[in-house]
Amino acid sequence: MSKPNTGRRLNDQTAAGWLLAAPAMLGLVLFILLPFLVALGMAFSNLRLGSPLPLEFVGIKQFQRIFADPDFLRALANNLLFAAMVVPLQTLLALGLALLLNQGLRGTVFFRTLFFMPVVFPMSLIAVVWVLIYAPGPNGMMNGFLDLITLGAWEPRDFLRDPLLAMPALMLLSVWQGAGFQMVILLAGLQQIPRDLYEAASLDGAGSWNRFRYVTLPQLRNPLIFVVMITTILSFRLFDQVQIMTRGGPNGATTTVMYEAVQAVFTRQQVARASAMTVVFFLLVLLVTWVQRRLARQEREVA
Amino acid sequence: MNFRRPPFFAATLALALAACDGERSGAAGEIVEIWAHAGQESERRVLREQVARFNALQSDMQSDLQVRLTLIPEGSYNAQLQAAAVAGDLPDLLEFDGPFLYTYVWQGRLRPLDALLPEGVQAGLLPSIIEQGTYHGRLWSVGTFDSGLGLYADRVQLDQAGIRIPDLESPWDATEFDDALERLAALDADGQVLDLKLNYAGEWYTYGLSPLIQSAGGDLIDRTDHLRAEGVLDGQSAVGAMRRIQSWIIKGRVDPNIDDAAFATRRVALALGGHWNYPRYSARLGDDLLLLPLPDLGQGPKTGQGSWCWTVTADSRYPQAAVDFLAFLLQPEQVLAMSEANGAVPATREAIARSPLYRPGGPLDLFVRQLEGGYALPRPATPAYPVITAEFQKAFDRVRGGAEVQSALHRAARVIDTEIKDNQGYPLIGRAREEALR
Repeated sequence: MSKPNTGRRLNDQTAAGWLLAAPAMLGLVLFILLPFLVALGMAFSNLRLGSPLPLEFVGIKQFQRIFADPDFLRALANNLLFAAMVVPLQTLLALGLALLLNQGLRGTVFFRTLFFMPVVFPMSLIAVVWVLIYAPGPNGMMNGFLDLITLGAWEPRDFLRDPLLAMPALMLLSVWQGAGFQMVILLAGLQQIPRDLYEAASLDGAGSWNRFRYVTLPQLRNPLIFVVMITTILSFRLFDQVQIMTRGGPNGATTTVMYEAVQAVFTRQQVARASAMTVVFFLLVLLVTWVQRRLARQEREVA
Repeated sequence: MNFRRPPFFAATLALALAACDGERSGAAGEIVEIWAHAGQESERRVLREQVARFNALQSDMQSDLQVRLTLIPEGSYNAQLQAAAVAGDLPDLLEFDGPFLYTYVWQGRLRPLDALLPEGVQAGLLPSIIEQGTYHGRLWSVGTFDSGLGLYADRVQLDQAGIRIPDLESPWDATEFDDALERLAALDADGQVLDLKLNYAGEWYTYGLSPLIQSAGGDLIDRTDHLRAEGVLDGQSAVGAMRRIQSWIIKGRVDPNIDDAAFATRRVALALGGHWNYPRYSARLGDDLLLLPLPDLGQGPKTGQGSWCWTVTADSRYPQAAVDFLAFLLQPEQVLAMSEANGAVPATREAIARSPLYRPGGPLDLFVRQLEGGYALPRPATPAYPVITAEFQKAFDRVRGGAEVQSALHRAARVIDTEIKDNQGYPLIGRAREEALR
């Protein structure tokens, strides 16, 4: 495909293209671009909700402050850790469930509904239920379950207040809650793979692993890229579980950037500081998404 | 993963709806708009009845004054109020949680009450109510009830362990209290004998536990000009008190109270708690229930105070009418009705004298004597309070988790001081100054 050709074709349909894109573009500008620019502006001020003091330009002070704030750095680290753990785990789990459901066994519809159900429930409800599951003491469900499978070797723990276990506890429930959605997307992708590819592979003597490796995975590449990207973005937005289950504790072990920003505005009126946090956060998510897209695109070129 | 929008959107929507509601006013006669938090069912019912009764009285008197009540959910109440204040949409009469008063005064949102509320009504109030409502020498808010904080105890378990029963005049001192914990623990199956209501978290930490720091001679902030936390919150006395609390937790004397029933099921012998715990505790323990003062950690026993209170907004078109309604709420029958609904300490002496729970010799008389006798310290009167309490809560969480006390408190004190400095020490300027001089 040569360059001038592409350009002319775009030109032919430019007007219609813009017209069709207008509603979506308008939404993007109004609700994404504009708020971001406003936040960017506020991040360089000393703006506080309702303060009678004059508004001042403070340069990069807010950014210096948040990067010197151990709570914010902890929040950033927690976000990265959460994404690094949850994205692969959740994608693998979703893929596994999708493959199982794609076997065409009996009760597929039932299990598909069952696996998808957590996605339908509001996260706040799920968080409250899991607070009960994680209840400390031998009577807590999770403690009881672990006691059962370790044949009594498990010492009851207070999961949500344990500095080492609080974050994994949130991860577990998040993976459980979110995997259903990814599973449905991957399942749709699986069902689009033509049967004859598998038949051809079988005729060539491919076993089930090789069929998975050389037919399923390449065919599933686009849904997988989509799933990984969306999971990454959503995992960075971790908030509800933290707000309801741990309030960022114990000792900052589960705080996240979103949680810190909301705390800054709504308990301390620090709009400027929260804006600086969200700007940093936006750039970080943008960077991660961009890197992922680049990697995915290169893969495509190689393939 | 989370597919819901962040809750800002819900808050914005609620605000938009509230704003639409406000625009309907002014249809006929004087409409006094009132916002209150949607508390327990019983509280809401009483407040609605009070509004209806007041409106009926107005009609009887041929007045076209009417009061209109809007209830706002408690969880996001303060955030919504702040947003409405910025948008200039506040009602005439407003309810809010006590220690947030100073922020609203400083922002110039409120009007002093002392010139509006009849002297006789002011004189009949508990001193703690006046104390919490006073800022820059003016009275800005009054509550119709106050809160009580004490130590609930199981008489049977104390007797079994041979522990002296203290009172306000001769409270337990620090060693006596530590000793009591150990003696109780020796008789207890799991050694957990004290309930600090650690399951409450949030504002409870500041409300319920800072009195122990104050009893040791420390505080959240220097109370003379409210400009400095360093050297106070991380000073010797405060650190000592927090180390003591931490030692109770580390030694395993404190029940985490996850099921909120540690004391009601008699799993522990002692429970730090508020007036709101009384109905359940007295139903479970009957005559075995004792209400005691907090231990004296050096400077006498201290306790918490403060609750929801009412204030007139600076832009109200009917400030006098709003105060008339407030005066109605402070009549003994109305104060008692609300106190019966939520169990809190009635705010006026007249109502207290008629309350079966709070009258002298009543089971909760201690709460009144604490509030009357200067044992109760209001939370710091500064617009920095939201930051003070947030930082204290974080510090307490760290200490509870075993962190080094001195550094945890020092970190909190530094953040608080930075906040105060950022706000230039909260000078009284602009509208707030005009209102304070009104």
